[in-house]
Amino acid sequence: MGNDLFLIKEEIKKNIKILLCYPVEIMFWAIFPVLWVIPFIFQGQALVGGVTSAQFKELAGTEQFVPFILTGAIISTYLFSSLYGMGGNIRMESYWGTLEYILGSPARKISILMGKALSESISSTFFVTTQVIICVFGFGLTLTMGKILPILLVMLLLVVGLYGMAIALAGVTLQIKESRSLVHTIEYLFYLFSPIRYPVGINPVIATVSLVIPLTYALLAIRGIWLLNQPMSSLWKYVGLLALLDVIFVTVGYLIFHHMEKKVRRSGSVAQY
Amino acid sequence: MDLLLSTDRIVRYLRAMNAENMKEWKIELTYRVDFVRGMLEPLIFVFPYVLFAMALVGGRTSSVLEGLTGVSDGVTYTIIGYIFMGFLNTAVWGMGFALRKEQWYGTLESIFVAPVPRWVYVLGMALHSTVHQGIILFFQIAVVYVLFGVILHVQGVLPVLVFIGLMLFSLVGLGLMVSGLALIFKEGWIVSEVLYSLITIVTPIAYPLAVLPPLLQKISLTMPTTYAITGIRHFLIDETMGVGLWDSYSRLILIGVCWIVSGLLMFQVVDKKVRREGTLAEY
Repeated sequence: MGNDLFLIKEEIKKNIKILLCYPVEIMFWAIFPVLWVIPFIFQGQALVGGVTSAQFKELAGTEQFVPFILTGAIISTYLFSSLYGMGGNIRMESYWGTLEYILGSPARKISILMGKALSESISSTFFVTTQVIICVFGFGLTLTMGKILPILLVMLLLVVGLYGMAIALAGVTLQIKESRSLVHTIEYLFYLFSPIRYPVGINPVIATVSLVIPLTYALLAIRGIWLLNQPMSSLWKYVGLLALLDVIFVTVGYLIFHHMEKKVRRSGSVAQY
Repeated sequence: MDLLLSTDRIVRYLRAMNAENMKEWKIELTYRVDFVRGMLEPLIFVFPYVLFAMALVGGRTSSVLEGLTGVSDGVTYTIIGYIFMGFLNTAVWGMGFALRKEQWYGTLESIFVAPVPRWVYVLGMALHSTVHQGIILFFQIAVVYVLFGVILHVQGVLPVLVFIGLMLFSLVGLGLMVSGLALIFKEGWIVSEVLYSLITIVTPIAYPLAVLPPLLQKISLTMPTTYAITGIRHFLIDETMGVGLWDSYSRLILIGVCWIVSGLLMFQVVDKKVRREGTLAEY
């Protein structure tokens, strides 16, 4: 147990050190996910002549579409982090020439993966905090202190589910090596089938597919707390479903990683580029 | 003799550009799944904007948009904007990333010592990216016609082609600038992503110029994409043009010349700098 904790701590230190070597990259992820929302705001103004829409309220529960898409942008930072940071981390180890050492070491792989997931969570939380500050001061989004704790609880559950998926992706990367295209595709599908930019009720197919994506429940719960002032008691079903998806994603994710790791070690293709 | 020599040189440059184009096609077609994904991805990219528009207006039409642009169909308006904006990808990703990709393949130094100017190589990538984007454009138009019933005025195709050509002329200049910056910054994806994001904000892709704040409107008027997208939509779906047709064409030519000259200058300065400092091979 002590060794595992040491391993997790060292993995976090290593990843944070690497991130700090690229300050421009830190600036980019802290600011740009919010800037990507701006075209939607202008588009909304051109279509409805303001920042409210009665039709939008029927689908989203709020007529204010700007806070709706801003919260979507902020929370989707964890999606980027899990897909590109965590999912691509194994590929980066292979670029750096350290993958064989990691997989060949007597360390438990789950500890290494946890270290990677936690370091990604730390950096993403920093990015999300910066984005919230930009949204509060730049776009007039309000956030009261009492809402922070329940939002953090939902975010924590979201992170667990997304990193479960990322662990599976890391396993797939071991096998297929160049996983960037797969990551891009998953990212676009998440954007399409979860309520990041628009309420999924706009299309029945999208609404159905969104039911198996943890981001859907997290966004419903967070927007319920943040924008609609709904009490936690009315949001428990979303939190419960999110927790259930977490268990499934983490279990399946780890099983996939374990299977892929055994497969590449047996086939001797770990060192292949 | 001089004329003959320069003609010979031009032919050699064109052959080098075509060789670069063919090489890129061969690499892309080797990864077929990736190629198919590349065709579908721009289409999926447009969907959130379309679905967002539908969620806002509860359908396709908006009287506010009609008052601003003369077009009431928000879905068609948005789709046309994003489909033709795809050409920006050719500049910032296709061309801008060309040299970085050669670095990954380990062939950048070999290319840089070849007896052709480096900009010829970048223009070869531009040729490839433009043809590739053109194919994606036709595919997208076919799909959105089936899915959303988007109908365009076929008689407007010729002036639209002129707008696309003039926009591409400017974007080649932008691509040269991004290529140069990628040589300095190495991790050029941030340069590409930042430029792409900022240009898409100030270009009236899914909204008219009128909804932008005054400062952004002024910046927007220096972008070739502003005139091209508005002009294209004018001929295909009757959007009202804020600037006259010949004025748009002449401004596009002027911006194109400025961007090409700036792009060539920046590329040459960076090229000299990285060769003098010996940082070309640094990864």
